[in-house]
Amino acid sequence: MTVEAESYPEIKDYTKAVDEPEWFTALRIKALKAIPQLKLPSFEKIKYQRWPIQLKRPLKQQFSKPELLAELSFERAQHLIVQLGQQLVSAEGISELEEKGVIVCDWQTALRRHSDLVKKYFMKRAVKLDEDLLTAQHVAYLTSGLFIYVPKNTVLTEPLTTYFVQDATEKFDYVHHVTIIAQEGSELSYLENLTTIGQEKTTANIIVEVIAEDNSHVKFASVDRLGSNTTTYLNRRGHLGKNAKIDWSMGMMNDGNIVGDFDSDLTGDGAHSEVKIVAISTGKQVQGIDTRVTNIGRHTIGHILQHGVILSRSTLTFNGIGHILKGAKGADAQQESRVLMLSTKAKGDANPILLIDDNYVTAGHAASVGRVNQEQLYYLMSRGLPKKIAERLVIRGFLGPVLAEIPSQLIRKQLMVTIERKLVDGQKDE
Amino acid sequence: MTTLEVKNLHVSIDGKNILKGVNLKMKTGEIHAIMGPNGTGKSTLSEAIMGHPAYQVTDGEVLLDGVNILDKPVDERARAGLFLAMQYPAEIPGVTNAEFIRGAINARRPDDDPLSVRAFLKKLDETMAVLDMTDEMAERYLNEGFSGGEKKRNEILQMMMIKPKFAILDEIDSGLDIDALKVVSRGVNKMRGSEFGSLIITHYQRLLNYIVPDVVHVMMGGRIVKQGGPELAERLENEGYARLRDELGLKIKLVDEEA
Ligand SMILES: Nc1ncnc2c1ncn2[C@@H]1O[C@H](COP(=O)(O)OP(=O)(O)O)[C@@H](O)[C@H]1O
Ligand SMILES: [Mg+2]
Repeated sequence: MTVEAESYPEIKDYTKAVDEPEWFTALRIKALKAIPQLKLPSFEKIKYQRWPIQLKRPLKQQFSKPELLAELSFERAQHLIVQLGQQLVSAEGISELEEKGVIVCDWQTALRRHSDLVKKYFMKRAVKLDEDLLTAQHVAYLTSGLFIYVPKNTVLTEPLTTYFVQDATEKFDYVHHVTIIAQEGSELSYLENLTTIGQEKTTANIIVEVIAEDNSHVKFASVDRLGSNTTTYLNRRGHLGKNAKIDWSMGMMNDGNIVGDFDSDLTGDGAHSEVKIVAISTGKQVQGIDTRVTNIGRHTIGHILQHGVILSRSTLTFNGIGHILKGAKGADAQQESRVLMLSTKAKGDANPILLIDDNYVTAGHAASVGRVNQEQLYYLMSRGLPKKIAERLVIRGFLGPVLAEIPSQLIRKQLMVTIERKLVDGQKDE
Repeated sequence: MTTLEVKNLHVSIDGKNILKGVNLKMKTGEIHAIMGPNGTGKSTLSEAIMGHPAYQVTDGEVLLDGVNILDKPVDERARAGLFLAMQYPAEIPGVTNAEFIRGAINARRPDDDPLSVRAFLKKLDETMAVLDMTDEMAERYLNEGFSGGEKKRNEILQMMMIKPKFAILDEIDSGLDIDALKVVSRGVNKMRGSEFGSLIITHYQRLLNYIVPDVVHVMMGGRIVKQGGPELAERLENEGYARLRDELGLKIKLVDEEA
C-alpha cells in the first residue's frame, strides 16, 4: 500500500482487501487526479450527459450469491467463463488453452499473476486512461474483468464464450474491463454475453480493448442484454496492426439506456475491420450507438453495417464515422446504417459521417430511417398471421442482411433467439 | 357448407367512390368468375372483402356464414377462411417462402399443436410438384426477385397449403403463358370440392376454359351488371364489353376504349 493511497479514502480499503499490485493502485490515483480536468465524451446526436452515467459510488467488494445464476441459462461451450458481479463463478475448458500458452483469467488474478503483461497493454494501445471523464472513472473504479492473451501464431479452433452477469440485486455499479491481446499471426473467436440480474438502479462502465497484432484475426461477437435499470457506457475498441483483422458482430439488445462507443483504429497497413451491429430498442429506452473506423495505415479497410429497429416510445441513434487520415493511401471506408420504426412515437436517427483527409481512397455511405412497409404487413397478415408475428417477420427480414454477414453460424443463431425474445417482450408494451 | 355474401357493398379509396353497391352470393363447392373491363373495381372488391386498410367501406356488408366480417382485421378474416391471391403480391426479403407458409398454417392451429416440420415439408414437396415448382423456391425469400409467373404460382401454392374455404383469385392469369396458365388451373381444380369455393377475377375468358365456373358475373362501373353461366364469358370474349354495356344501356366510359 502506497502512502499516497492512504489519502484516497474511496479506494483505500478496497485496494488493500483485494491485494492489487501497487502500480495499479497508483494508476487509479492518477485517474482520480485527472478526473476534475476531464469532460464527458460527446457523440453526435446522442444526448446522454444528464443520465446517471458517472460513477459515484466508492470502490467496494461485492460478494454475490451464486444461487442468483439459477434463473439464467447458459449455452454449452467448449471454453466457457462465467462471472457474476465481481466474481468468477466458473471456468471450463481453460486448462486446454493454457497448455498452448494462452492466458484467460479474471481481472484480479491477471493483476497478480500477469502484472507485466497487463501493465504493458492496459489502457495503453487502444483506449487511454485520460481520454475523457468516463475512461478515467473506469480506471479509478474498475472492479472486474477478464484478461485474454493469445501467443504468437496460436490458432484457437473453438470459440471462447463468456457470460458477464451484472449483479443489480444490490446498489453496486458495474465497472468491467476486458483486454484481448492477439499476438502476431494468432486467431481467436470470442463471444461475450452481457446480462443483468436484479432491478436496482445502477451504472455500468464497461471497456473492451482488442489489440490485434500483425497478421492476427479476431472474431469478436457480443450479445448485450443489460437490464432496464442499468445505465451503461460501453466502449469497445480495436487497435489493429499490419494485415490484422477484426470481425465485430454485436447485438445491442439491452433494456436500459446505453451509449455504445465502438471504434477500430486501423494503424497497420492492410488492417481490416468489419463491424456488424443489430440493435433493438423497446419501451422508453434510449440506445445511442457511435461506430467509428479510422483508416491510418495504407490499404486499410473499414466497413460498418448497422441495422436497428425501434418499438414503442424508444430511441435508437446510429452514428457511423469513417475517418481516413492523411497518408492512408488506398484506404476503403464504407458504411450503411438503417433504422426501422414500428411506432409513431419511436425516435430514430442514422447519421453517416465521412471524414477524408487523403486522396486515392474509396469511400461510401448509405443511411435511412423508415417505417414498416404497410403492404408487406398486409400481405403477411392476409395469410392469417397475427399482426405481431407479421411485424416480427418483417423485422427479421430487415435485420437479415446484417445477420447473414455474421461469420459464425452459432452466433447468428444465438442472436436470432435473443432478437425474437427482445421483440416479443418489447411488443407487450406496444 | 359455408356461404359468402356481399350485400350492397360501397367502397371508396382516397375519397373516390369505386364500388357502388355490389351484391354477390356464393357457397363452398361453387366457382364464380367476375369479369369486367380494367379499372372497374374488381381488385377493389377483392381487397375490400379481404380487409385491406386503405379501402374504406362506406356502406354494405360482407357476410361469412351470415356473420358480418367487416369489423375484423385482415388476419382474422384469413383465419376465418378467406384467401386472396393478389394481383401484385408484396416481396418480403429475409423471410423464406417455406417458413412463411408454415407460419401461416400454424397460425390456424393451437399453439401447442403446430404442424411438424416433417409433415409440413412432405406436403410442401407434393404441392410444389403439382405446380411444377423447383425445390429451391421454398428456400427463397418470399416473392423477392420472383418473376411475374413465379409470383402467381406462389400465390396458388400458398392457397393449396392453407386450404381456405373461399379463395379470391385476382387476375391470377395475367402475365402467364399458356403452359403456366394450365399449371395454375391444375392447382385450382385440385382444390375443387364441397369444402372450397373460389371467386375468380379475370379480364379474359381464356382462363375459364381451364377452370370452368358455375356462375359468371360481369362488373362495370362499380356494380355487377349481369350474371350467367360459362357461355356469358364466351360471349364477352367474342363481342367485347362495350357491346354488353350498350345493350344494357349503361353510361360508363371504359378505360381502354378507343376515343
Ligand atoms: N390506391 C388507389 N388510389 C386511388 N385510386 C385507386 C387506387 N386503387 C385503385 N384506384 C382506382 O379505383 C378504380 C378501380 O380500380 P381496380 O379495383 O384496381 O380496378 P380493376 O381491378 O377492375 O382493374 C380505378 O379507377 C383505379 O384507378
Ligand atoms: Mg385489378
